[in-house]
Amino acid sequence: MPPRTRQTERRPVRPVTITAVVDPVAALASENLDDNLYLYDTNKAAGSTGFGTPELRSRVRKGDTLLWNVLPLECETYVALTDIEIDPRIAEPTRKVYPGTDIVFWTAEVKQDLTEPVPYRLSFLLGTVSTPFSPTARPALAGPSDEGKEGR
Amino acid sequence: MAQQHGIIVLFDVENALRTRSLDGNTYWFDNMKFLGSSGVGTEQLETIVPGTYFLDGSQATEQVLNWLPAALGSIPPTVPRNYLAEQARAEDRRTLEELASLSAEGGVGETEVKQLQRRVGKRARKAESGRGLTPAKLLDVTGKATSSTEAYNYPAPVITDITGEAVTEKIIYPAQYGSPDMIYDGWYWAATVDTSRPGVYAYTVHVQLHELVERNDELVWESVDLTCESSLKIISDPKRNGFTGAGLGVLPLPPVPAAG
Repeated sequence: MPPRTRQTERRPVRPVTITAVVDPVAALASENLDDNLYLYDTNKAAGSTGFGTPELRSRVRKGDTLLWNVLPLECETYVALTDIEIDPRIAEPTRKVYPGTDIVFWTAEVKQDLTEPVPYRLSFLLGTVSTPFSPTARPALAGPSDEGKEGR
Repeated sequence: MAQQHGIIVLFDVENALRTRSLDGNTYWFDNMKFLGSSGVGTEQLETIVPGTYFLDGSQATEQVLNWLPAALGSIPPTVPRNYLAEQARAEDRRTLEELASLSAEGGVGETEVKQLQRRVGKRARKAESGRGLTPAKLLDVTGKATSSTEAYNYPAPVITDITGEAVTEKIIYPAQYGSPDMIYDGWYWAATVDTSRPGVYAYTVHVQLHELVERNDELVWESVDLTCESSLKIISDPKRNGFTGAGLGVLPLPPVPAAG
């Protein structure tokens, strides 16, 4: 078991990064993003769950900076995060690019502590298809206070 | 042309450095799920490797595996090669330009100085025993200069060796290669596979992570060497065409484009 250090009290200096690993070729071939999307975040020590599924539940607190980025399994195939829809009272993600590139990431600040998990919707552009792909399953942000209620 | 299988290993570097272990901090992927790889996206990936012959029994070329490491929570490997160096240089250039314009105007306020100091950032050198990293300006995970030793972007993990059953049994012949690769800094580990002996073979990947420590008022990259395991499942099925599911032959394209 990893030691539970001061992580819970200490505000992380790095953003909580949520990385979407996408297999674009398989998603395009099957027209199914759910089976080809693997979500991870850097907050495992704080209690995030659902790693490697499209239903990642990221444990966050008010004031945390969130950063969403994409890691394609095929570097030759275009993948970009094109939209994040979430209750604007919780977070208002903005689209940015790594300076000097056109590689997109999104950031937002968590506006309030969450008592219930807040699902959100990610949309991706894959290959040369102009209609965004969105998984049916929803990732969510969750606060520390709902621990135990959900049983996952 | 040999069939290339990509195996991507995503490391939760922050957790791995804290616990000094890759257990629970490694996620494996390959692009062979359609052929039967299992555990994609988890710590228990079993990469499928079909045989090297076609349906009609004719000889196919060998299977080639490529391992590509990535760090979770870092600038993704899709940014151009040399990105960190380019960014550090661009920040320096902007700082100098601002410095020049400050002296031209005459007055220098505290805010401007603070801003410049932030841009100047900090530099880390590599420890004597370290490898793979050059002294460079610290950047944060969004590509901006930082002077905080807690906000820096983790450098990409470096694979230093591949060992284990699959190697001692001479199932794979791994080696590190250099190439003008645009994504992974020109170095990658690859192996050819002997597919004549079907079975499941485990292998160990030796990985070097880098941690920034402050020593004698200096920032130093220290290497942390860890290992993680995965396995290959060699099967005797013939090689298949990813488009048709059959052997070699014509792709299923209509001879004439559909009228429209």
